[in-house]
Amino acid sequence: MGTENRGRPQFPARPAATPFAAAPPPQNMMPFSSSGPLVGSEASGFRPTPPAAPLPTVPSSTPVVGSQASGFRSPPLARFNDPSVPPPPTSNIPPPVGPYQRFSASPFPSAAQAPLSHAPPLGQPVAQPPAPPASLRPQSQIPPVPMGSPPQSISFSSPNVNVPYSSSDSTFPAPRPNFQSSFPGYARMQSNADLQAPPIQSPFPPHQGGYAPAPPASSSPFLTHQGGYVPPMPVAAPLGLQSRDQMQHLGSGPPIGSIQGLMEDFSSLSVGSVPGSVDPGIDLKALPRPLDGDVEPKLFTEMYPMNCDPRYLRLTTSAIPNSASLVSRWHLPLGAVVCPLAEAPDGEEVPVVNFVSTGIIRCRRCRTYVNPFVTFTDAGRKWRCNICSLLNDVPGEYFAHLDATGRRIDLNQRPELTKGSVEFVAPTEYMMRPPMPPVYFFLIDVSISAVRSGMIEVVAQTIRSCLDELPGYPRTQIGFATFDSAIHFYNMKSSLAQPQMMVVSDLDDIFLPLPDDLLVNLSESRSVVETFLDSLPSMFQDNVNVESAFGPALKGAFMVMSQLGGKLLIFQNTLPSLGVGRLKLRGDDLRVYGTDKEQTLRLPEDPFYKQMAAELTKYQIAVNLYAFSDKYTDIASLGTLAKYTGGQVNYYPSFQSAIHGKKLRHELTRDLTRETAWEAVMRIRCGKGVRFTSYHGNFMLRSTDLMALPAVDCDKAYAMQLSLEETLLTTQTVYFQVALLYTASCGERRIRVHTAAAPVVADLGEMYRQADAGAIVSLFSRLAIEKTLSHKLEDARNSVQLRIVKALKEYRNLYAVQHRLGGRMIYPESLKFLPLYGLAICRSTPLRGGYADASLDERCSAGYTMMTLPVKKLLKLLYPSLIRLDEHLLKASAQVDDLKNLDKRLPLAAENLDPRGLYLYDDGFRFFIWFGKALSPDVAMSLLGADFAAELSKATLYEHDNEMSRKLIRILEKFRERDPSYYPLCHLVRQGEQPREGFLLLSNLVEDQMGGTNGYVDWILQIHRQVQQNG
Amino acid sequence: MGLILWTISFLIDLALMASTFYQIVILTDLESDYINIYDTASRINHIVVPEFIVQGVLCAIFLVTWHWFMFLITVPLTCYHVMLFLKRQHLFDVTEAFRFLSAEKKFRLIKLGFYLVVFAIVTGRLALSAFEYLADMDDAEHLF
Repeated sequence: MGTENRGRPQFPARPAATPFAAAPPPQNMMPFSSSGPLVGSEASGFRPTPPAAPLPTVPSSTPVVGSQASGFRSPPLARFNDPSVPPPPTSNIPPPVGPYQRFSASPFPSAAQAPLSHAPPLGQPVAQPPAPPASLRPQSQIPPVPMGSPPQSISFSSPNVNVPYSSSDSTFPAPRPNFQSSFPGYARMQSNADLQAPPIQSPFPPHQGGYAPAPPASSSPFLTHQGGYVPPMPVAAPLGLQSRDQMQHLGSGPPIGSIQGLMEDFSSLSVGSVPGSVDPGIDLKALPRPLDGDVEPKLFTEMYPMNCDPRYLRLTTSAIPNSASLVSRWHLPLGAVVCPLAEAPDGEEVPVVNFVSTGIIRCRRCRTYVNPFVTFTDAGRKWRCNICSLLNDVPGEYFAHLDATGRRIDLNQRPELTKGSVEFVAPTEYMMRPPMPPVYFFLIDVSISAVRSGMIEVVAQTIRSCLDELPGYPRTQIGFATFDSAIHFYNMKSSLAQPQMMVVSDLDDIFLPLPDDLLVNLSESRSVVETFLDSLPSMFQDNVNVESAFGPALKGAFMVMSQLGGKLLIFQNTLPSLGVGRLKLRGDDLRVYGTDKEQTLRLPEDPFYKQMAAELTKYQIAVNLYAFSDKYTDIASLGTLAKYTGGQVNYYPSFQSAIHGKKLRHELTRDLTRETAWEAVMRIRCGKGVRFTSYHGNFMLRSTDLMALPAVDCDKAYAMQLSLEETLLTTQTVYFQVALLYTASCGERRIRVHTAAAPVVADLGEMYRQADAGAIVSLFSRLAIEKTLSHKLEDARNSVQLRIVKALKEYRNLYAVQHRLGGRMIYPESLKFLPLYGLAICRSTPLRGGYADASLDERCSAGYTMMTLPVKKLLKLLYPSLIRLDEHLLKASAQVDDLKNLDKRLPLAAENLDPRGLYLYDDGFRFFIWFGKALSPDVAMSLLGADFAAELSKATLYEHDNEMSRKLIRILEKFRERDPSYYPLCHLVRQGEQPREGFLLLSNLVEDQMGGTNGYVDWILQIHRQVQQNG
Repeated sequence: MGLILWTISFLIDLALMASTFYQIVILTDLESDYINIYDTASRINHIVVPEFIVQGVLCAIFLVTWHWFMFLITVPLTCYHVMLFLKRQHLFDVTEAFRFLSAEKKFRLIKLGFYLVVFAIVTGRLALSAFEYLADMDDAEHLF
């Protein structure tokens, strides 16, 4: 199941040309053959044997090369061919005739012909010109070749049995791509050709003649297998024999070109089993996995070097369809994922441009900002807008002459004309009011559970330590309010020695006890603020109030902030129980799951929260919610505040300062100190004929295409979907321009503009080739999460699967006519991880399982979080990394800084967990360190100290005084530094420690089957089957 | 008696039509960005409940006056309104306005069409009863 797709045509090449025209001359077979299935098939003509095909029955199976060579030249080959060649068609498989058609040239002598109209030339393989040895070699190199599969595969004792089995077996999936898997069988055959020939042939004819009534002796394994019998060996292996032969013909025959073309067009996965059979027939190891993390589409940026970096804008496919009918055949989301403020590595910061004298140059009609794709004409006096093609005048101050090639002579001094991402300093026309200062208002729950959890103390300390780093000094404003059954405001006037507390207990009619001084300038009132933060934990340490007047407190905070806007950080620990917005315990109702009412649990219960969110956005207030409760707190309702105000939800279930303190500290610090854009609006413009129609993420739409974002930062991404307005696009290129108008913390109003161009294509294959799996997955997950708000979880999961199936089916149809696909599962190289990510979405916290698989609050908070994550971070969360640590720790020489070895990610399956090992599971939000049962006690002891024998749920990881422990801690630190947006807290799990292990780690191993959900193999089979239905 | 009933129904239906039409205009304005979303929501939400009540009253009037045909025509919409109200989906949702904009507009257009039908019937009945009334007056005059 290699997935290589070599020699893809470079972008501009239209697919039409590709398959054949681009077909490389014979020597090109190399690349080809090196790829799993396809290659295998191709190369099989030459009968190389793959390395890993140890069949007990085969004497000479081991040395790859040797067998290859022998296979290659051996004259008896011919004999093999005939039994294997003509597999009778089976019901579920497309008629095998197809593959053979091309070989009709030579007559097929054997009985096998019967079912086939054209038989492959028997003799051909032999006669076939010796293939360049080159082609063989690559094959043997392929480690992932499926056949590698378990040596135990062979439980047959006698070649007799074995042979019929394999041959017959191979018959049913005949047209399928079994080739690759076939190697072992093949190898054996080759080496033993002479010996085995008779047995082989004998069983075979019965099949061919009358498939069903085949004599039991020979056919039995075959038939049973079909019926769903689980053969003791991977089916794939034996298949090889036959498919190889087929391929041989293919390879040798005239259609070579077509195969090569096919190679270039798509990747494929051979699925060896019949529907209904329990044995998957897939080599688990060869399934594609994103072990290198997210790969940004290179081709696209290379094609348009002036495009903005993909970290800011990623299109789900960089080839825009030119007609509505094409869009309807592209079943994946068509759109973009935008992360306007993504963190740029040093040296790649977005240049700031200040058009002091000329004003910002924009198109008169469509308001597009000047960008690298505009063209200057008329000797530099006019410029043509790339989006609406209107000719605009160039203002006098901006004028520059054009050189001979039509480029402005001052191009080098104009970043806005050379870079896809620029930032314009906005003049006063872009302000509704003077730029606001950064405002931070903290609304802190001080009821008894908050006090007990220690949350208040951590929060107060963290805020105090961040006071110096809050952006926007010296304009930054800060304010506090606390609440239990009443609301406490604090007067922080700079002239006071210490803050004055004012209690408002009239919850029905909230008023502010002071007109101002509740929100104060930090630099002026610094000492008061510090005094307040120092005394806050002790102020409420004896509080026994269990109520929470959250709604009224929120209103109060809103009143304080409504003048300026800013960021409202809510620390909430108790379910709101008083005043407006009080909520009920509704999350623990098991019976609601699976009914039509299920989704109402994920919607805000009280319209108060939506209304409040809308009001907050209107006044430029962003809400970041920190929830800590150990009980149900209705994140679904509270999170609404963050969702519509461009904020985020951080949920720390059962917060204990001793355990989660570090995480909260880090994440709150990050929240307070990261560069933030205030009172922002974002719009994405695109060329004529296309339009963005739906937007997904945490924000509120203020008009059809204007996103209101009270606060934006580098950790937020927004997704949107495109639709075509015209039935046919006539332009060659579509341009996209993201413009984010915001107030920087320094008080400057700025416009960040990202521009990208994408070609318009008329061909579906090109769209698939240019697809960006990361962006698609990001959109998919957002759509699925939104779907859980109006449908059952089950429906949301099915819709993900359905869309993947539809897309693959469409893709298959694209090639089904030209190429014989047989039972192979084909998919574009660009989307090879899509099925796995689809599975991961279905297994992610917001969508997984049912009632018991995740608490409602966790589901909702994960849902809110996933709606904001940038692509990379999301992919990491969906397919976390699993790394083996013990070897690295034990290696005395290994330097910690040398993380190279640690980049080797393992597939997320329990079988990869060696009981002797120590593993790190890292999804970007949590670390799990898994201690194998047979891990040497020394290692455990040095890492855990005295705790090593104790229950790990109580143990914590801290640095001990030995090399190994220090190393581990430093490794974790390194990983945390790589992605500072969240602080992964370390959980320790020991193998076999149930239910903790299952609950923490095993349920997150996406590739495994878990409580009724699919594993990777089943998922692929299921998708494959559905793709083939009616396909 | 009949004349009064039909006159009242006529006026009520006129009011309903006006309110629906007004909402459609506002939504169209929102679509073309002539009005901001907060104003849209507050204007529409102000008249949603009164409209529901008035429509309910109309339906009730037909019931108590035993106008079965008219009652059966109007009662489905009343039920729908009640259902929306109970599900708390009757108000225009600011936060998700654009996602549901076209649906909301369609709903109101259908409603407007429905009111027009009712309006046609009511006008006819009004004319009839006015005619009868006048005829009665004539008869009464003749009696004298």
